[in-house]
Amino acid sequence: QKLSVEMLDHLERLALVDFRDSEGVERLQKAIQFADQLHEVNTDGVEPMDSVLEDRCLYLREDDVTEGNCAKELLENARETVEEYFVAPPGNIPLEKLEGRKTYLQGS
Amino acid sequence: VLNRRCVEAAVMTGLALNCHINKKSLFDRKHFFYADLPAGYQITQQRVPIAVNGSLSYSLCIDNKMSQMVTKTVRIKQIQLEQDSGKSLRDDIRSQTLVDLNRAGVGLMELVMEPDMCCGEEAAAAVRELQLILQTLGSSQAVMAEGQLRVDANVSVHHPGEPYGVRTEVKNINSIRFLAKAVDYEIQRQIEELGNGRTILNETRAFDSKLGCTVPMRDKEGKQDYRFMPEPNLPPLILYDAKSLPANMNYQQLINIDWIHERLPDLPTVKREKLVEQYGILPEHSFTLLNEDGLAEFFESVVKQTQMKPKKVIGWILNDLLSYLKQHSLTVKESPVSSFLLADLLNLLEKKEISSTAAKRVLAELWKGEGKTPLETVKEQKLELLQDQKELEQICQAVIDGQENE
Repeated sequence: QKLSVEMLDHLERLALVDFRDSEGVERLQKAIQFADQLHEVNTDGVEPMDSVLEDRCLYLREDDVTEGNCAKELLENARETVEEYFVAPPGNIPLEKLEGRKTYLQGS
Repeated sequence: VLNRRCVEAAVMTGLALNCHINKKSLFDRKHFFYADLPAGYQITQQRVPIAVNGSLSYSLCIDNKMSQMVTKTVRIKQIQLEQDSGKSLRDDIRSQTLVDLNRAGVGLMELVMEPDMCCGEEAAAAVRELQLILQTLGSSQAVMAEGQLRVDANVSVHHPGEPYGVRTEVKNINSIRFLAKAVDYEIQRQIEELGNGRTILNETRAFDSKLGCTVPMRDKEGKQDYRFMPEPNLPPLILYDAKSLPANMNYQQLINIDWIHERLPDLPTVKREKLVEQYGILPEHSFTLLNEDGLAEFFESVVKQTQMKPKKVIGWILNDLLSYLKQHSLTVKESPVSSFLLADLLNLLEKKEISSTAAKRVLAELWKGEGKTPLETVKEQKLELLQDQKELEQICQAVIDGQENE
């Protein structure tokens, strides 16, 4: 089953990855085929598993303040700050529609 | 790591709202990109939340008169625990977003209600009651102006009998008053749009408090794919009750729903009923008493310190004290007249040492907060009622004599 251009575009948009070229798309295709092998297992009547930790006890932490007051150190991580704020672009810049982008997918 | 207090608060709130508490609830990741969500996902409870199927009862005044109140109910679909994002501020001048990550990761309770309300007034009354409940429980101080309680309103319109219309989500509502305005505006806007033959978009809108209207929010892209997946770092949250409590576990790691249930404080509805029963006041009186922070306590304190019957005291509290506080935008805590002073004054009135009119004048004087006692003020202004029979006769005679001379 070949992946449609719409699906590939949707994935690029969601995950902000760039499949770049036919090799990238081929690798994605192979990854999906590999994962599809899961469908061969009969899971009738079996509860889905969340994670290997799911039978562990969820640790509840006491409501005590044990750290903080390190705004200065944390802000040092940023290239640009304004007073005590991190600076980000004005909003999400949505990926241009497929027609406007220069990507491999355009050529498919 | 999950904070224990968050779980307790969610259970308390769920119980107070008549919810079914899920003994096993799960955590999920909700993925999306935004400047105030550095991890790129938010931990929430999408599959199985901590509490479901509750209800919130609230009262409404019919026709703006306090004398007729009706009780309404809104169903609570669920309560879920989730993480807060950071706070973002738009800087339109420099075309940037400023992000404060201080509150990122802090636990939140999200309450989802069913669409059982039909106008801004109902929404405001329901949220006000919720606020009082949360404050009584101690789950939250629920001050909207400080973001401790945030409300997003989902609004749609439809003709009676037809299915619900497309809904819009209205954000940026910072007070209960604005909630009512935002909901009513949006209802009107949708009715007009549909009346003009247009359709309602399933979009997110922001309430502009200055203009009193809702506007589309620029940032929200089309339908989001959140790619929900189980949160791998948090196993299921297991809650116990008296029957299922395991014997050999560290008690700090256990939450017993029954234990919490037994320790729930009196909710506002119960408090109101008790005030009515104990003091013989009207339901609408107790409604107002609970609506003002500290007023019920003030009232009870005055009642304890005076011989005047509660039914008479309530008039002084609601008509005189409260209107004064409102006029000067003061809270009960900031009242220049303490419950002790007011009780003192009411005692003078009760013992018939002054008249009711005189009492009002003394109260007006006490508001100045100059530290004088009611008795001192009475003496100063010579407001004492004459009790002496002879003196009264003399005065009456003098008046009559004066009349005769004309």
